[in-house]
Amino acid sequence: MKGLHGLIFAHGKHTGLRELTELRSPASVPFGGRYRMIDFVLSSMVNAGVSDVGVILHGNYQSLLDHLGSGKDWDLSRKHGGLRLLPPFAMVQHRDDRTFRGKMEALASVSSYLETIRQDHVVLADCDTIINLPLQKVYEAHVASGADITAVCTPKNLGSLNAATFFHLDDEGNVTHTLYDIKEPEGFRSLDIFILSKDLLLRAVEECRRQDRYSFRDAVLHGMAGELKIRGFVWDGYAAQIRTLAGYYDRSMELFDPAIRRELFPKERPVFTKEMNVSSTYLDPDGACVNSLVADGCTVEGRVENCVLFRGVRVAKGAEVKNCILMQNVCVGRGASLTHVIADKNVKITDGCTLVGSANYPLAIAKNAEI
Amino acid sequence: MKKECIAMLLAGGQGSRLYVLTKNVAKPAVPFGGKYRIIDFPLSNCTNAGIDTVGVLTQYKPLELNSYIGSGQPWDLDRSNGGVHILPPYMVEGDKGSWYKGTANAIYQNIGFVDMYDPEYVVILSGDHIYKMNYMKMVEAHKAAGAACTISVLEVPWDEAPRFGIMNVDDKDNIVEFQEKPRQPKSNLASMGIYVFSWQKLREYLVNDEADPASSNDFGKNIIPKMLDAGEKMIAYRFEGYWKDVGTLESLWDANMDMLSRGDLDLLDSDWPIYARLPDQPPAFLGKHAIVEHSVVTQGCDVEGRVFNSVLSDSVVVEEGADVSYSVLMPGVTVKRGAVVQYAILGEGVTVGAGAKVGGDPMTCDPEQWGISVVGPAAAIADGETVAPKTMLNRNHEEVER
Repeated sequence: MKGLHGLIFAHGKHTGLRELTELRSPASVPFGGRYRMIDFVLSSMVNAGVSDVGVILHGNYQSLLDHLGSGKDWDLSRKHGGLRLLPPFAMVQHRDDRTFRGKMEALASVSSYLETIRQDHVVLADCDTIINLPLQKVYEAHVASGADITAVCTPKNLGSLNAATFFHLDDEGNVTHTLYDIKEPEGFRSLDIFILSKDLLLRAVEECRRQDRYSFRDAVLHGMAGELKIRGFVWDGYAAQIRTLAGYYDRSMELFDPAIRRELFPKERPVFTKEMNVSSTYLDPDGACVNSLVADGCTVEGRVENCVLFRGVRVAKGAEVKNCILMQNVCVGRGASLTHVIADKNVKITDGCTLVGSANYPLAIAKNAEI
Repeated sequence: MKKECIAMLLAGGQGSRLYVLTKNVAKPAVPFGGKYRIIDFPLSNCTNAGIDTVGVLTQYKPLELNSYIGSGQPWDLDRSNGGVHILPPYMVEGDKGSWYKGTANAIYQNIGFVDMYDPEYVVILSGDHIYKMNYMKMVEAHKAAGAACTISVLEVPWDEAPRFGIMNVDDKDNIVEFQEKPRQPKSNLASMGIYVFSWQKLREYLVNDEADPASSNDFGKNIIPKMLDAGEKMIAYRFEGYWKDVGTLESLWDANMDMLSRGDLDLLDSDWPIYARLPDQPPAFLGKHAIVEHSVVTQGCDVEGRVFNSVLSDSVVVEEGADVSYSVLMPGVTVKRGAVVQYAILGEGVTVGAGAKVGGDPMTCDPEQWGISVVGPAAAIADGETVAPKTMLNRNHEEVER
């Protein structure tokens, strides 16, 4: 049938995110006050009418399973299709627990699933891209152009070049060169979102498997460049790729900019996430909370400035929290003082404790720690 | 499939004392406390108490309420066996069907629904109270006493007792007399409008009541007195905790303010969560100049102005220089630059223009002239306009008398 099928790669390991990925995969790293990173590409798919999405998992995926559940918060709990979680069930040839070497190997591991895809097109996306993409438009452009592969890319400089791919486009938007591991950004940066036909995907997976090639970039974007028409879809709205702790911190702090929030959270394309049943956030007369993004269920009795507060955070009287990211259910005790701190889920900061990080090297505190 | 206990929620009332707020929606669908609608309380109480089958009797302006309840998923009431069911009045052979004539008639018309589950006990609830209650404890008390009917009661201050239906009890809390709004109350145990009945017994009374042309088919006026007269075992179940009827504009405003003071009504209690259906919105943003004190804010809010002692529901915008105090702002309200909102209830989607003034402070007003100002859903207050205290406007910006 006509339409798009979603595939999200949630198998990667980003050591650059340090403490945040100690107990979870990058896909389930909390971002933006109430979301997990995967919510952004997943919601982009759902908003484009994608009804079937496979999520390829590997290693540390417990937290992602908890988050996605049956998929009902994304309206993906369906009789037919819907959300499918794809753990590495076909990895018999690799007995060790190392992760996939690349996307093609990850796809090969779920090849029996790929064959059951009902739609004639597939969109591939990484879980660490923060974007609210009108994917329907990309799909329409792909079909209209007659391209074999459409690659979403941005003219913007997204900072850290860690694992970044760049494209040169000609006047008609065709990809002429694909570059990797370069020192300075050039051309358009790949947002690692690709649309191609199911048939092409199956063929490429099979060829790569036979030749023991595992990288989508190397084997398909480079290797098949001669025979395929690869087009760029230039997206100049907001996008971020979060692969380092510093990048995570900076992108979080950017959310105080109303223009960025408007691009990331447009009314017509909501970002869906797991619902938690918490009441509204209470702000006490003894506290103050400015220039901050505050999710529901928080109690703020202290002073909060330039912060992202996730759901259920408590800041006690006399505490001062500046330039921090406090994740779900973090508790800051009386008189504590935090600056440039990223406190992961359930962290407890005891009364009077002082913690100071710096803007370019924020202090990250791992999940469940008590300080 | 047999169930020991099911709940029937009376949600068909017009809620006429909420005036413009219930012009287009049923009272149970009126927003409350930032994230909720009134019906979230009884529905969540059912789920938390382990009652998984709930019939919701609707009649007046049910569209928004129906779509809000939907499959019942937010309350975990989307079940293959049981779950939440919307029960509007329907036609039976020829012209026999009718609107629900009274609370008892509403249940009478749905005897077939209740019989499908063949329950031992039926809990009768209404959709206009804010409270947290474990109905199963009440059912346990009902069972232990071997009662035909158990009525939940609350001790109210003696001077307020004449406003309620009062239960007079013996030393074992058996109900011996029921007085509707007595001038000289003999007790201060007020009925909360929550009943547990043994189903077969209630069924009998409903059928007889329907056959009585003089009856107004109401639980409080007919069924309860008839059961008492017949000497049925009826007990009072004493409830302690927060309970508020939000049937009037003042009590709705009061209950919102009670929630802010975070005394008896604790909505952050994770042992007894109140569930709600909410659109996905980003977290609230409090701007550089925002001053928000003793207030709640909800996802989707964008606050640059000053907010004091107020409830902000989802997607409320308070622009820089605007000042909101002692008010309840329902979802999607926008208060523009320099506007002042005091002691007001603003319905869903209301816009208050720049520099406008809505409501007033009771300290600086003539007490005769003062009251809560109410603006109906989707109404637009023009830039610089003044809406006096106690004024009520409908969605077309026409003044409505109370």
